[in-house]
Amino acid sequence: MSSPQSIEPVTLDDVLKPNQLFRHHRAVKFGHDFLQYYSFKKGFLNLNNGSFGALPKVITEACNELTAWQEENTDYYYRIGFIPPLIGVREQLAKLVGASDVDEIVMVANTSTGMGLVLRNFLWKSGDIIIRCGSFDLSSCDMLGTVAQSNHCYVGNTTYGTVYKTIQYIHDTTPGVEISQFELLFPTTRQAVLEGWKEHIDKVKQSAPQGSKIVAVIDSIVANPGASMPWKEMVKISKDAGVWAIVDGAHSVGQEPLNLSTSGADFFVSSAHKWLNAKRGCAFLWFSKKSRDIMLTTIPTSASYVSPGPERPPTNIISQFQYNGTIDYTPYLSVHFALQWREWIGGEAAIQEYCNKLAREGGRRLAETMSTQVMDPDGEFTLAMVNVVLPFSKEFSATYDASVSTALRNKLLSQNMFAVTFYHQQLWWTRVSAQIWNEISDFEVLGKAFVSICSDIVAEHENAHIPPESKAESFYSYLEHPFQGAVAYDPKDGVGAHRPVTATTVVPVGYHTHLASIRP
Amino acid sequence: MAEVKTLHFESNPPPFGHEMRKCFSFDPEYINMNHGSYGSLPSPVAEAIKPYYAMAEANPDLFHRFTSIDLIRNVRERMAKFIGAAHTDEVVFVPNASHGLNAILRDFIWEEDDIICSCNTTYKSISKTAQYISDIPPHPEYSQFTILFPTTHNEIIENWRTYLQSLNEARARSAHRLGRRPKIVAVIDSIISVPGALLPWKEMVKICKEEDVWSVVDAAHSIGQELDLNLADADPDFWVTNCHKWLYAKRSCALLYVPKRNQHIIKASFPTSHAYISPKKRTGPNFVEQYEWNGTLDFVPYISASCALDFRAWLGGEHVINAYCHRIAIEGGKRLAQILGTEIIDQDQDFQFTLNMVNVAVPFPATMSSDFEIDMAFRRKLLIKKKIYPAFFYHNGKWWTRCSAQVWSQVSCLLHSYFPHPPAGSIPGRRF
Repeated sequence: MSSPQSIEPVTLDDVLKPNQLFRHHRAVKFGHDFLQYYSFKKGFLNLNNGSFGALPKVITEACNELTAWQEENTDYYYRIGFIPPLIGVREQLAKLVGASDVDEIVMVANTSTGMGLVLRNFLWKSGDIIIRCGSFDLSSCDMLGTVAQSNHCYVGNTTYGTVYKTIQYIHDTTPGVEISQFELLFPTTRQAVLEGWKEHIDKVKQSAPQGSKIVAVIDSIVANPGASMPWKEMVKISKDAGVWAIVDGAHSVGQEPLNLSTSGADFFVSSAHKWLNAKRGCAFLWFSKKSRDIMLTTIPTSASYVSPGPERPPTNIISQFQYNGTIDYTPYLSVHFALQWREWIGGEAAIQEYCNKLAREGGRRLAETMSTQVMDPDGEFTLAMVNVVLPFSKEFSATYDASVSTALRNKLLSQNMFAVTFYHQQLWWTRVSAQIWNEISDFEVLGKAFVSICSDIVAEHENAHIPPESKAESFYSYLEHPFQGAVAYDPKDGVGAHRPVTATTVVPVGYHTHLASIRP
Repeated sequence: MAEVKTLHFESNPPPFGHEMRKCFSFDPEYINMNHGSYGSLPSPVAEAIKPYYAMAEANPDLFHRFTSIDLIRNVRERMAKFIGAAHTDEVVFVPNASHGLNAILRDFIWEEDDIICSCNTTYKSISKTAQYISDIPPHPEYSQFTILFPTTHNEIIENWRTYLQSLNEARARSAHRLGRRPKIVAVIDSIISVPGALLPWKEMVKICKEEDVWSVVDAAHSIGQELDLNLADADPDFWVTNCHKWLYAKRSCALLYVPKRNQHIIKASFPTSHAYISPKKRTGPNFVEQYEWNGTLDFVPYISASCALDFRAWLGGEHVINAYCHRIAIEGGKRLAQILGTEIIDQDQDFQFTLNMVNVAVPFPATMSSDFEIDMAFRRKLLIKKKIYPAFFYHNGKWWTRCSAQVWSQVSCLLHSYFPHPPAGSIPGRRF
């Protein structure tokens, strides 16, 4: 197959008929009117764009056309057809995120995959150090917090679960690779974060063995809490100390402007299906030309793989990413339509301005409604996601109880709404995403719902006959409690309600905790 | 627990042959001779999964946190029964066979003097995976077993035994030197891609057991083509198959089978899941949980596997479908070989390698180069110009074409590619 650079990129408008909506109509204003463009169930109050995004109807239709194209002549599509439009999409993304070349951008299924690809491509040696962010459990767990079948300690971490565990896996399978944990606790200030980061980097650098490499995983926007970090400064501090900077930018593209070639980062991964309106299963991995040398192979390894050595062209990894196993390219190609959509509805700046303003105002209104407080009142860490304390008493929140997490989730869904809830620093919080279909009244509705939901949960906790050993003293003791299998929501569900046991024997902690941290 | 709805059909299915194209969405001018590479999505299956896409957008949180997880467990149970796994929890979904095989091969903790082996006929990306594993420290050895057609099942079995015995001799020498016993991991195709050939993989797996060699079976082409799969009986160490090839699921969708006895080998899914537990802290397998969530994907293809099974039941079921495809493969292959003046790759071996893919030699002179440029020329002349394309490959000194016979195929299809105007009377009763 010819090398990717020798193929002319085309846009999908050359392949499929252009969308009629864009030609003949103007978009309505942001707010509830905008709901007409989405496919949410009637009345569903979506305050959680951050986890899974939402696909506008127009793009759903475009994806159906892409699928039809794929099925028309599948051999043509997979051997010839998809390549130029895919390069076209990579070029469009390269422009959007300030890459200096199309070959700095490759497509991956999601951020977990992109981060995993980077971390697993490093050739790790004894003495190497990987820096991730997390808080040490305050009560009873050891630093890595695993007891029996529990993998629970990371509930306190800010590095995203799959990435946190990828680092764990590398440590577990490569003798001598150490993990260095940077404690990141909110509320805090940008200045405190940067000072702490510098101190941490210096300390790690000092104690690192000669010739070892240090790799830092930095979130551009943390998931739980939803917090925009001073990541460029953190990258600079890292690079100045000779530390590799891998940025988990899952939430960034579409939520903040990016200029990656001047960011100083070595790698940057972001999900296009979150804030950029692409179809699920679409993210990109950016690497500087220097960092590209780290990337030996895709996973799975491609038929184009060439062993390292003089025979291997410097762009071999780009060829590998083009095809490395049969996948549906529709999510990747949907970026083309997503970018057209975003232009049509007002453009990046207008979208981001609306969401950021609404997040701040909405957060304040939500806190008022619940008589609690916003995590980040100055807005230093707030883009389109805002975190507000839930109306539980301090005593109730003092120890983590996973059943509260489950109950919050179930009760929200039973009221046809959703926002993420999480536990951090001995408080229960909600993380709310402000999107262009939201208005300030949505935050009031959510607040009122939380007031009644939280008081219900407290009442159930007090009245329900929960044996003392089932109330968590630490993160893990609820293992004994029979929460097994998938938890289908039920409006009457609460703590202690009987839960259906599924056919499988999935370890309950694994299931619950991974639900708690599904890319929110 | 949410269940995938069974498909119901109002009418009878169209007859096999060109009428069956009604159930697919091919370009009317395109003759699909290469189902084996990427599969084809039946229109009823495409329709049947639309409600799940609607669910995913109606309430993304409900769908991704609960409903899809339940539905996929439901489908896994069905698929586990279909392939004869002893337990549902031995079967998980992965995006494609390459992904599943990579996950397994990377899950082994490789050490110097370990041996990873594949065949010259192993799918290229998988040999490259083995190559990569050998390229990085600690550089286990990469060994290759040779299969050259024409050959027979018995010959392959005998050669495989001899080959593994020789690897064992090498291992014994290493073990003596190292004071520990290295491992040998073999990648075996159930059905080779090029040529499209059914191997005696179950016997090869047995020999692996006798020789203390791990068997990793690349069964990409098996499900939906190979009948009466019974993995509990065949008992491979690992087995991976693509549902989007011969089973008619939506791309991309594959199954990874790991019997309970081997689940301790599984360290991490790729990407590593939230549910990952450090191996030294595990008190049981950490397999299914890792594969239940390890990143946001379009999960509907996994759900589509169940709809695909319903569609196939409507067509008459596995035996009926594959009897037709097999017959067309053999008859069509014979006609094609006759017209080209060449041969089918296993015609002297009673077609023991042929299921639904038939391999016919291309009438090139013996001096024809093996250059990939030849394949590119076929793409230009056939795929682009004439909208027909069976796979092409070079093997053991010859160019071959691999034609996939499917429920829409007829013997005449195989001829059309070479003869747009068939000689009068060459195809009895058919006006192509």
